[in-house]
Amino acid sequence: MSPAPLLRKFLIAVGWSGLGLVAIAVVLSDFLARAPAGAGHVGPILTPPSSLFPFGTDQLGRDILSETLHALNVTVIHALPAAFLAIAAGSVFGFVAARLPAPIRLPTRWAMGVFAAVPSLLLAILLIGLTNRDYAAAAAGLAAAPLAFVRVFDRARVSANSAHAAYARATGIAPSALLRRDLAYEVRDALLVTAARAFAAVTIILSTVSFLGFGAVPPHRDFGLMIAAAKPVYVQAWWTASFPVLSLLVLVLLARLAAGLDEGERA
Amino acid sequence: MWRFALRESGRFVLGLFGALLMAAAIASLTSSSHGLIADLAAIVTRLFAFLRLDFGASAISGADAAQELAAHAPVTLTLIFLGLALAIVLGAPFGLLLSSAPVRRATAPVIQVVSAAPVFCAGLALAFVARKFLGWAPGNGEFPPVQQVLHPDQSALRLVMMPALTVGLAGMAAIQVALRRSASEAQGEPFREGLRRLGLSALEIDRAYVAPMVFAGLFQSFGEVVAALLSAAVVSEWVFKCPGAADLFVKSVALHDWNVAALILFFFASIVLFANFFGRLVSEAIVSVGRSA
Repeated sequence: MSPAPLLRKFLIAVGWSGLGLVAIAVVLSDFLARAPAGAGHVGPILTPPSSLFPFGTDQLGRDILSETLHALNVTVIHALPAAFLAIAAGSVFGFVAARLPAPIRLPTRWAMGVFAAVPSLLLAILLIGLTNRDYAAAAAGLAAAPLAFVRVFDRARVSANSAHAAYARATGIAPSALLRRDLAYEVRDALLVTAARAFAAVTIILSTVSFLGFGAVPPHRDFGLMIAAAKPVYVQAWWTASFPVLSLLVLVLLARLAAGLDEGERA
Repeated sequence: MWRFALRESGRFVLGLFGALLMAAAIASLTSSSHGLIADLAAIVTRLFAFLRLDFGASAISGADAAQELAAHAPVTLTLIFLGLALAIVLGAPFGLLLSSAPVRRATAPVIQVVSAAPVFCAGLALAFVARKFLGWAPGNGEFPPVQQVLHPDQSALRLVMMPALTVGLAGMAAIQVALRRSASEAQGEPFREGLRRLGLSALEIDRAYVAPMVFAGLFQSFGEVVAALLSAAVVSEWVFKCPGAADLFVKSVALHDWNVAALILFFFASIVLFANFFGRLVSEAIVSVGRSA
């Protein structure tokens, strides 16, 4: 095997291993964190990183290391159902819709194409505005779905018109049987990649909507809300924003590596 | 080519109609719900009002929604155009450079990390640099008019540079991916070997055959690039307090000002749909000129 595919496999393994470690940190976050979520005056306000407070403290005297662990928990707990929804309403629906009869398939593709023309972030903000902030995860999942739908739909149309599909139809195999067979192969070959990609996409959407004030609600702060709270002081106290930003970056990076995305490729 | 243009025009018009329908559905939220039939009637009523260019009034300011958009859109469009210019100037050479395997391998880890950073983190980092190292005071809801942006003095530059750079970085990532993707596809084309055997040098093949394919691929992804710029404009306007349409959208949704939110959403969707349409047309034109040459 040439070095490039080997390196790619290695990076995917690094991504999944990292996400495994993140999962352990999420499960143990309450145990690992020294202070409960949102607990103020744990230390003096705006203390720089030290041996006592490795990530420093914020303007309310909260321990940033503890808050980062809790934020990781909230971000992942919200991103998981959102990613599931993005896969179901985007990838799976797109795959099935591509095999539907033309009178259903074409309007569905058109409607999803229109939704895909709206940037996912704006769609998520709109959906949260139409419901409330408790549904931010669902909104992020639904907002990421149109792009995933269009991507999978167009790929599935190529497969539906491929030689194997034509032979299957010619030999009398029912369209539903062909769909089941192709869906089984799709799940086997692309489920993990799709899941990691959806996780990266919804994590970015969720943290951005929280940063803009539409996502998580205190005291259950995610990374976006933590970074937004640090905005007034981070120029004087760099550690208040740096550690949540780095943690978010690592989380998204691991998901991108697990999905095998190329550098710069959109999640 | 004409058949292609006609088909794409049809898709564009249908897309615009869909965006209008979506905007009408959002704007109809201003009327209280009385069941499914009444809701559908409200959507149809709003749709016809939109077709008469009646977009309703803002629930916050009481001004016409179209006037609100007209007052805020120039800021967003300025940021998008500046961002696009930066993205092309920086992203195009970068994308072409990265299409060569050794450079790509060397820079891959850094680009992978940068790609993982959400746009608002990049915006905050630039705001930090502006305040800490350049000593620029944060903006307070002001943005220079277009004429001043075209001939900027120092104060205008301070207000425009960092937001435009934030948008430009997002566009740059999208452009370099599109360029690299199409360059990689062109590298593997079997015609290269055939042309080499016919006696053409690598430079001649790249200039006459590969470059058009690469730029056609870039234009094919133009809608994607513009969508990335728009998303970045939302964050950039929020971080740098620019009074643009994206910032107005966020505030309108927060305050349930659905007439304004619907109109801005339609405006943004139209921009992306037009970029898709324009990009596909230019891409096809480049390919067909290459075919006939």
